[in-house]
Amino acid sequence: MTLLTPDGFILEAQNVAKSFPAQEQRLELFSALSLQVKPGESLAIIGRSGAGKSTLLSLLAGLDQPSAGHIKIAGQDLSSMDDAQRAAFRSQYISFIFQSFHLLPELSALDNVRLPLEIRGDEQAEQQALKWLKEVGLEKRVHHYPSQLSGGEQQRVAIARAFVTSPQLLFADEPTGNLDDETGQQIIEQLFTLNAEHKTTLILITHDPDLASRCQRCVTLNNGHLTERSL
Amino acid sequence: MSASVRLLRRQMQGQLRTTEWRALLIATWIAITLTTLLSLLGDRLERGLIRESASVLGADMVLSSQRPIQDLRRQQAADAGLNSTSVIQFPSMISAGDDMMLSSVRIVQSPYPLRGQIQTRPAQETDIPEPGHAWVEARVMSQLGLSIGDKIELGYTELIVNAELISSPDRGSGFRSFSPQILVNEADLDASGILAPGSRAEFRLLLSGSTEQVNSFTLFLNESLGDEERLFTLQSDQPMGGGALASALNYLKLTSLITLLLSALTIFLSLKRFSQSQHLRCALLLSLGMTQRSMVMLYLMQLLLAWAVLALIGSLTGIALEQMVSRWLDELLPQSLPAPALWRYFTGAGVGLALLVLLGLPPTLGLSKVSVSALFRDEDIRTERRGLVLQLICALLLLAVLLSFLEAPIAALILLLFLLIGGAVLGSIAQFCLKHLATPLSKRLLLGRLLVMRLRQQRQWHRLQSAVAILLLTLLSVVWVSRTDLLEDWQAQIPDDTPNYFVVNIQPWQTEGLQSFLDNANVSAEFFPMVRGRITTLNGAPIHAQMTPEQLEHNTLNRELNLSWSNHAPTHNTMVEGQWWQGETTEPLISVEAEMAEILGLKLGDVLGFDLAGLEVEAQIANLRGVEWTSFQPNFYVIFDEATLNQFPATYITSFRLAQEQQELANQLIREFPSLTLIDIDQMLLQLSQWLTRLGDSSALILALSLICGSMLMLLTLQQALDQRRYEGALLQTLGANAKQTQHLDLLELMLLGALCGLMAAIIAEGVIALLYIHLLDIAPQLHLGLWLALPLASFAFFTVSGALLRKRLTLDQCYRLLRAH
Repeated sequence: MTLLTPDGFILEAQNVAKSFPAQEQRLELFSALSLQVKPGESLAIIGRSGAGKSTLLSLLAGLDQPSAGHIKIAGQDLSSMDDAQRAAFRSQYISFIFQSFHLLPELSALDNVRLPLEIRGDEQAEQQALKWLKEVGLEKRVHHYPSQLSGGEQQRVAIARAFVTSPQLLFADEPTGNLDDETGQQIIEQLFTLNAEHKTTLILITHDPDLASRCQRCVTLNNGHLTERSL
Repeated sequence: MSASVRLLRRQMQGQLRTTEWRALLIATWIAITLTTLLSLLGDRLERGLIRESASVLGADMVLSSQRPIQDLRRQQAADAGLNSTSVIQFPSMISAGDDMMLSSVRIVQSPYPLRGQIQTRPAQETDIPEPGHAWVEARVMSQLGLSIGDKIELGYTELIVNAELISSPDRGSGFRSFSPQILVNEADLDASGILAPGSRAEFRLLLSGSTEQVNSFTLFLNESLGDEERLFTLQSDQPMGGGALASALNYLKLTSLITLLLSALTIFLSLKRFSQSQHLRCALLLSLGMTQRSMVMLYLMQLLLAWAVLALIGSLTGIALEQMVSRWLDELLPQSLPAPALWRYFTGAGVGLALLVLLGLPPTLGLSKVSVSALFRDEDIRTERRGLVLQLICALLLLAVLLSFLEAPIAALILLLFLLIGGAVLGSIAQFCLKHLATPLSKRLLLGRLLVMRLRQQRQWHRLQSAVAILLLTLLSVVWVSRTDLLEDWQAQIPDDTPNYFVVNIQPWQTEGLQSFLDNANVSAEFFPMVRGRITTLNGAPIHAQMTPEQLEHNTLNRELNLSWSNHAPTHNTMVEGQWWQGETTEPLISVEAEMAEILGLKLGDVLGFDLAGLEVEAQIANLRGVEWTSFQPNFYVIFDEATLNQFPATYITSFRLAQEQQELANQLIREFPSLTLIDIDQMLLQLSQWLTRLGDSSALILALSLICGSMLMLLTLQQALDQRRYEGALLQTLGANAKQTQHLDLLELMLLGALCGLMAAIIAEGVIALLYIHLLDIAPQLHLGLWLALPLASFAFFTVSGALLRKRLTLDQCYRLLRAH
């Protein structure tokens, strides 16, 4: 069941600020960012290098604490939780896809995919993992290790791993950044198809405008401000 | 199988392929092996020989003296309700047919011993040998080719060997406890004719009783102890036997400190590198839903699992090595060693656990600080430098564990400081030399300037590597040389005509016969009378009132001296000051050894007072003599004029040289003069050299473990350094250098470092060995050319080969990818 904020958002950021201690004064990355995302929506966050996209993603995913403001996911205010509560919350609602795939090299594709389920104590882990590997077209590669898979295949394993826990929110950080154009296209196709089928909310960080245009919404992060871009 | 267990298993399997995890495993294995070996060996030696116990003393307390113990003492003991028995122990040549050997003879009376038991083969019904019989140790049996029922000659008497002595308490003090022993009934002493007034022997009164009786008699004896008497009790600090062995054991333990430190450093660096390499993995696990607690538990489990496997393997290796070393020592030890305490088998595992937990805890807990956001930034993650307090606490705890294991905390602490400071100084000198060596090269080589820059950048790494390499190579060289060469070099410089036999306990009436025996064989020998006496006064006032505490500790003031007389200067001494007296003297005169005179501040004309068996004698210093103590001639601190001393009962001593083909004369001499004690110096030196070799072997074994550990440490840091160089090499290649040039740059740096470390180690080792030659052996230092060749070559080869093996050549494509990844 999808939990929402009273206004019907799965994710809501209100006046979020983030600053870092610099040499003599604090460096302010952004001061009052607000953002709302509806369930099942796909949102792209674009911006130039150093604009703070990754920091924003960390805040939205509850990996980091804002200097000010509130972030609510599925109706719950992350800033009122301690580290352990946030971790537990994340594990229940959120999945990630990374630019560098980040598969565990000593685990097979199957083991990599079932790992998050096993961490949660799911007894159906193997069946679920096999199902998801089949969905991403890797049913014949289940026992291969990451080093035996191509870059595209590795990212598909990572996608299967992200979806296997049925997350409500999926954060993807430059998912095609380490892939050639053709493979990147295939991966994006697959990602959006699965996203649509499973009604997952997708928040995607990229600096590729083409990729961003595949999302339902796109916001630009520039000079500490978020600007909605029409697609 | 749960996810954590599967992950743990896979994680361990995968990490077995990494250098840091391998180095960690090997260092821990070595630490466990070494501590198990030393703990077991130490315990067995202590139980068997060193630690005071009733079964080692053979009594609750032992009164020992160089003179016969007065009957009064025995009466006092009886009055105090104590049981007592007398023992006389002396060295003597035992012969069987044509074979003979120097043994330690114990003359005993029943009941014996008062505590503990004597074990013989075959078992005997009586507690001591019957008159006319002897129980002898296996070493005597084998060297003289004896079987049960054979006869041996002790002085003028023949004894039947009716049992082999397997173990016995009360072996005596000092080196004599290591000599092969023979037990003889006191009824046979007179017939042997060996012991005469003035003969060298240790007289002991063994005493036993209740704790109260023993304690009160100890108090009583301590107050009335004579100069020549010493008291050994279960609580006394001074060991009855095995003092040398205790020192040897401490030496081995201190040697092991180096290995333990190297293991600890290797484990520390491995864990540091390991935990750094795990940051991304941890971030990923957290992103997949694992809690920080589970993740820390996962890594702690990994460490514990590694420890469990290593504890088993390391303990087994340690036990096997202990068996090997105790077998080496077995033939030199007086009796077989008892089994160690059960807990000693687990010491190694305990120390290993302390090493892994205390060194592993800070970086493992640090892993929980990793943030998932690191996975988005794709940057080198560094956990915050928190936990310094924890690191410090863990390091101190570890130090405490290691020092308590070594059981000599002060010495270990000093050695530790010495190693740390010495290492830092050596490392800095090596780095300084390296910098200056490379400067001239910079103009001649294509990448020379880069080499100089790199040497500056990598100075910390070079300091650590060179300090470890130099210390290890130096230690190995010193141990290697002192194992065999030291004694051989010392023996080689002894002149060919140096005496190789001493004869002691010669009674005055035997001198003439012995002199003519030696004259007939064309063996020249000078006889010196010996009277025991103690220095009591200087210029009429008590010596204690006039000397500093340091002077009072001098060898000549705290014991009875062997004094001699002569009306002419000994030919092997040199006159330093004054003249020898001519003919009869009107007043008592003495000649004093020059070094003793210098230390005690004695001058010509001073009058020294002596206590000679209760009689006071005063004599004026007429001259000072230079004495070569290592000349194997009878030497004396004080020589009197004849008229003053010849009224006292004396025995004589002489030394002479028998050539290889004259050895049979020694047998003839013992047959003709059975009561004399003939000491074969060659045999004693052989025994000493066996000890040195065994001790050298044992420390070489420990140092070999250090070497493995040190190599692991160096390989680990080398790989870390090479990883950093990969980036630099890739950059250079993309800027136009070819793969060969970047390889040459890396290897040149390592070659220079290797050769320099070897050279510095050779210089220091040669210096340490020279100090040993000068101060320990008193001979001129010699150059060990082998060291000068072997050390630089070995070190050069190690650095170059490992660098070449660890360094992977990069293709241009790989360079681009590497640079992109950064």
